[in-house]
Amino acid sequence: ALSADWSADKDFKAIGKVSAATQRNLEPVGPHFLAHARRKRHQRTFSEDERI
Amino acid sequence: MSDETSGAGERFAIGISFGNTSSSIARINPEGKPEVIANEEGDRQIPTVLSYIGGEQYHGSQAKAQLIRNSKNTVAYFRDYVGKNFKSIDPTPCHNSAHPIQSDSTVAFSICDTESDTPNTVTVSEITTRHLRRLKQSATDYLGKEVNAAVITVPTDFTDAQREALTAAAKEAGLEVLQLIHEPVAAALAYDARPEATVADKLIVVADLGGTRSDAAVIASRGGMYTILATAHDYELGGSTLDKIVIDHFAKEFIKKHKTDPRENERGLAKLKLEGEATRKALSLGANATLSIESLADGIDYGSTINRTRFELLSNKVFAQFTSLIEQVIKKADLDVLDIDEVIFSGGTSHTPKIALLARSIFPETTKIWAPSTETTAINPSELSARGAAIQASLIQEFETEDIEQSIHPMVTATPHLSKAIGVEFSSGDAVEFKPLLSTETALPARRVAQYNVPKDGGDVLIRVCEGVRDIKVTKPEPKPKEEKAAEDEEDSDFDSEDEEEETREIVWKTESPIAELAVKGVKANGKVELMVHINADLGLQITAREVGGQSAVRGAVESP
Repeated sequence: ALSADWSADKDFKAIGKVSAATQRNLEPVGPHFLAHARRKRHQRTFSEDERI
Repeated sequence: MSDETSGAGERFAIGISFGNTSSSIARINPEGKPEVIANEEGDRQIPTVLSYIGGEQYHGSQAKAQLIRNSKNTVAYFRDYVGKNFKSIDPTPCHNSAHPIQSDSTVAFSICDTESDTPNTVTVSEITTRHLRRLKQSATDYLGKEVNAAVITVPTDFTDAQREALTAAAKEAGLEVLQLIHEPVAAALAYDARPEATVADKLIVVADLGGTRSDAAVIASRGGMYTILATAHDYELGGSTLDKIVIDHFAKEFIKKHKTDPRENERGLAKLKLEGEATRKALSLGANATLSIESLADGIDYGSTINRTRFELLSNKVFAQFTSLIEQVIKKADLDVLDIDEVIFSGGTSHTPKIALLARSIFPETTKIWAPSTETTAINPSELSARGAAIQASLIQEFETEDIEQSIHPMVTATPHLSKAIGVEFSSGDAVEFKPLLSTETALPARRVAQYNVPKDGGDVLIRVCEGVRDIKVTKPEPKPKEEKAAEDEEDSDFDSEDEEEETREIVWKTESPIAELAVKGVKANGKVELMVHINADLGLQITAREVGGQSAVRGAVESP
């Protein structure tokens, strides 16, 4: 349901921001962490990582 | 010992769980499943005990049996002393075996470990090395290939000094420690690595109930990655607390018949401990268990039985301590039992049926309680740590040492986590509903995709991406018919003290603040909209929405704060 007076450039409107994050330690265990570490070390994004 | 363990190609790694009471070794079998290896005596839970007679070394069950006749030259319960200052240790568990003594700043034992009658001072590091060497040998014999590396599990409160000391002791035993991992995380990994398991965001409590201590941890599992939110420890609670109940029960029975207390005699107490533990374990499997000891005290043989109901009655208070440890850790994480998706019971004492059943009663029905008495497909709690370590070992054994070090470095593990959930707000009429897409405590960067049904007629759809917080809504039971009008009001200020029915508590989500709005136009009737949210480590967002099967997508970015 879209109200009639709603409009935005390219149909996208940014309204707010995400609240400050909490700094925590990941447990360096499991396949998903190792994938995360690989992306972080090589500064790859998710999609770049998937292509490799 | 050969020291050629640096070449990654030469590596052959296993998983080791190293406990105060018992240790296990595990590997990934050729079918790709973790498997705990039995030692040459057929034990999968190998007592962490070493004993010496006439220069000969005994290990595991054989050494444990020596606690009766040769207690002074038998070393047990030493894991928690590794890398510790003598002044900071609690020697209580060692009352019936070789006592820890001070040697420089570390802990040692004075034992006759050679043929000579004069005792040697052997440091706890050396004892650990000998123990690990035996574990390594058992694994090597079983696998027919030299094991030279391992992933070892440690408690979450292990200090850096303890980690270093353990790593060094393992190296002395010819084992390259690829990584030390936390026991509760190993348990969680053991469950998540089952082929039938799916990756999901969930909050897990791991209750690791050991022999001489018990630990609990709350873990946020997000996209298959684990973050420990809180831990709690009880250094006096464990299987031995329950053993004592069994021992005291039988000792009292013995006193009634024979007028002497078998606990006052050192050997009598040692026999009672050994057999009492076996009896207590038997009560986890059967409704009855027997105990029989030859020449318990004053040369009198003793035999008796105990049933589970009786044992549970006597143990009520101790059982409550286990559940309160679980409640404590949840409180420490600032959570509620309603937030917990899974409770994993780990450690030997988790076989006790009543403990898991008590936990069952404090959690909502939707919470999975992984213990043998509550879930038929539960994994043997004694094996969880070792299995988790074996899985991790298999994942990293091909890595270069440098690669492992870099991957587990704090630069990589220190990660921003979402402090609030991000999801979508749906409004139909006056009702507003929030559905989380990214859970709180999700490590960043993260990406989630979800599909939502659009209103039946389709048309233009507005998607509001918001932050949300979960609240616990307490509904008092419906009051008497007269007050019907107030029944719907959750914050009924009329305090009704006569109410004895239990209130119901449930999780409700509230929108906290909007982040972005997107419009997907001209959606077909009964169509679906797919939304993808990607959050960077700097809290910047990319959001994409499109009609499933549609051509064009709406895209936008929200800058980092």
